[in-house]
Amino acid sequence: MHRTALRLLLIALLVVSAGVAQQKTPARKTATAPALDPHKPIVITGGKLLTITHGTIENGTLVIENGKITAVGSASSVTAPAGAQVIDAKGMTVYPGLIDSESHLGLTEISAERNTNDLVEPSDEIMPQMQVADAFHAESALIPVARFNGITNAIVAPDSRDTLPGQDAFIQLAGADASQMLLSRGVAMPLNFTGQQRRNESFATAQYPQTRMGMAAQLRQAFTDAQGYVVKWQEYEKKKANAKPGDNLPNAPQHDLKLAALIPYLDGKKPVIIKAEEPNDVETAYALAQEFKLKVILNGLTHSQAIYDKIAKWNVPVIVGSIYDDPKPWQRYDTVYKMPGELSKLGVKIAFASFDAHQVRNLPYAAGFAVAFGLPYDEALKALTLYPAQIWGVDDQLGSLDVGKVANVVMANGDPLDVTTVVERLLIQGRDIPLVNRQTELRDRYTNR
Amino acid sequence: MTFRFARRAGRLGLRSLCAFVFVGALCAQQSVSYSASHRGKNEFVIKNATILTVTHGRIENGSLYVKNGKIVAYGATVSAPSTADVIDAEGKYVTPGIIDPHSHMALDGDVNEATSPVVPQMLMKDAFDYNDKAIYRALAGGVTSSLLLHGSADMIGGQAVVIKNKYGLDRDQMLFFGAPISIKFASGENPKRVFGDRKQMPSTRMGNFAVMREAFTQAKDYEHQWDEYNDKVKRGDKSATRPKKDLKLEALVDVLHGKMLVQIHCYRADEFLTEIAMANEFGYKIRAFHHALEAYKVPEALAQNNIAIATFADWWGYKYEAWDAIPWNAVMAMRAGVRVAIKSDSDDYMRRLNQEAAKTMRYGGATEEEAMTMITLNPAWIIGIEDKTGSIDIGKDADLVLWDGYPLSSYGVPHKVWIDGDLYFDRSLPGLGMPNFQEGQ
Repeated sequence: MHRTALRLLLIALLVVSAGVAQQKTPARKTATAPALDPHKPIVITGGKLLTITHGTIENGTLVIENGKITAVGSASSVTAPAGAQVIDAKGMTVYPGLIDSESHLGLTEISAERNTNDLVEPSDEIMPQMQVADAFHAESALIPVARFNGITNAIVAPDSRDTLPGQDAFIQLAGADASQMLLSRGVAMPLNFTGQQRRNESFATAQYPQTRMGMAAQLRQAFTDAQGYVVKWQEYEKKKANAKPGDNLPNAPQHDLKLAALIPYLDGKKPVIIKAEEPNDVETAYALAQEFKLKVILNGLTHSQAIYDKIAKWNVPVIVGSIYDDPKPWQRYDTVYKMPGELSKLGVKIAFASFDAHQVRNLPYAAGFAVAFGLPYDEALKALTLYPAQIWGVDDQLGSLDVGKVANVVMANGDPLDVTTVVERLLIQGRDIPLVNRQTELRDRYTNR
Repeated sequence: MTFRFARRAGRLGLRSLCAFVFVGALCAQQSVSYSASHRGKNEFVIKNATILTVTHGRIENGSLYVKNGKIVAYGATVSAPSTADVIDAEGKYVTPGIIDPHSHMALDGDVNEATSPVVPQMLMKDAFDYNDKAIYRALAGGVTSSLLLHGSADMIGGQAVVIKNKYGLDRDQMLFFGAPISIKFASGENPKRVFGDRKQMPSTRMGNFAVMREAFTQAKDYEHQWDEYNDKVKRGDKSATRPKKDLKLEALVDVLHGKMLVQIHCYRADEFLTEIAMANEFGYKIRAFHHALEAYKVPEALAQNNIAIATFADWWGYKYEAWDAIPWNAVMAMRAGVRVAIKSDSDDYMRRLNQEAAKTMRYGGATEEEAMTMITLNPAWIIGIEDKTGSIDIGKDADLVLWDGYPLSSYGVPHKVWIDGDLYFDRSLPGLGMPNFQEGQ
């Protein structure tokens, strides 16, 4: 297609989509009551509370003030503050908002439409200076769809095509704009080592790195360069500090954003997330991280059954899956489904992820399915709440129904992990979030047409 | 979710015969003798099960009697000879085998013959890789029959193959005996992208439909030439010249004569209407729209024309024509009278179609029976095998799944799977869980 033609097509598409947006019918009131005033206390009564940290409270009461949980306990033990707005949660299950440990929310709208995608910068493998926060599209239609099933927080990661594609952000799935939704930029850095990052289509067209040794050598060089960069700046600062009056001042080294971006990781202040699937890749990437004393979170491990014991001894957290990845042709059908249960039994702290954008809403079902293949139910729930909060360093704020934590609270008509459960009401930071999205709007428009 | 159009598979059958002779409608697939060594003791009773019959509601503490590959009796109790094996299913569920009406597994990647937008002479059985382990994984997910379709690169794709997922048997033993022939059509973004990228027609939706109209017009001319020739021969005209047999046009003539079930990949509401108009123009019937993510916008048009849909439970946003997809689509279409099936179009999702069906309970409040129908009887109707399988009814094939956990939940997992009364999968067994098949066989 000619460029002009393509441009015209794109403009036409934009016009069409703008037209669609303008046709929005008034949102149907799905909430059972008018939206609550976030500035007044909220009391949720009569529900079954899954606290995560201190068991289940049948007929429990939860008090929320200024966006935080201020009391939690049995109905008889908790008194509602004066003037509190009451949500009757009788018959409902009440639990903390779920956390997706790898999503692409805000980086994509329509997968096949290039201009709606900001998933990865593929021009080089080593791109640690890329911040997904800079591309995060807060008004994405995908976010209200994701929170429809009780997902309130997520890691946003770049696509895994590069070995070091950039730095993740940790988001909240509600807020007036990106600044409110982006809870932290550069929370961690993916280090992808699955073999898919090679550029080895053929000898004729191959580019570096063509092989796994190329990938490792390139990574090793990057971290070594960053170490050298640190030394160079230290020497400069030292010379400058020691300079006596009349001395020539040293010339400052040039800034290098790529190398500078690696420093917090070399310092062990932030974790790298090693994505690898096969045992050899897991061990190679882990050894490389050890070489530079990096703080490690593992991700993937879908075909690493043979080294689960070894991994457990490393004592690092694991983002499991996707558990829906195919087993190897010679393996039993449930080999990958069983991974969360098997790792959990070895004492590994696990977390679930959607690894997706459009289907973030299905995150709890993966945990439920893992329960069917041996993961204890309570661990499954923790792997969506408390464990990711710990892994991402926000367990003082999120991951359980505890006093002092942010009031991200889901009220549903049943088991959070079951595919038939309906989320009835959702609070994020104590705010009543309408369960309305582009899809409910289309549903309502065509139901009432 | 990755952009997918690439995978669509085929169909099998007595094609060698059908292609040359206008054998009657819905040419049957080849019968095969089926090695006795693969058969279990083909007479058993399942007791104490919760049976979801699909056609007659739920039976608590029910029993089901299977003999010679067929369902002989079911109910609160059944009378069966004491020699029959007994399976105690306490705490477990029994359902008919799941039927996947849209799969591209077991084709070794040969899903699209995308060198021309009209390739109805392609027979997916010619690419059928019966050794593909995906068949085993579908089986372990409770899928007993699958329709392997051609891809959506072409406006008129190839002829599908219907299989029973008897992994470990020979190729011909997996073909669904008696299943009609389905043909795959497509529309929308995929054909226009594939051919448009090559600067060929079609590169637009008007191009798409022009290609179809041209193809059917050629087929009509072709048929007319043969009619004239046959007429001349009948009248003893020695000058009659026999027209050349053209397998592509023969297949299209079969479509025009209603000899194939037409399965159309189609997303958008306006395109359903155009496809229906095209079918009316040329006089063929559409069996089902596949994907059909905008069925909820025009369900009456589908219901009035008795066109089913084979849709996703909740996929959306992977391309522009999937942008208006909503997870209420299945139930909204069903309530308007459309026959709805949930399909996989995926070697991943085919392993848990029960959960996909359960999503229709979450989005729109489908009942248990309605949700089960969407992965059993309705896909069976789409494939044209609803008189043989797809529900627990007397005389139907004993294609059955015994479930650990409630199938319409996150926790339902097939424990045993029988096809034609033979046990092909048993989760409690070591290795692959296949009683008559071990790796290396």
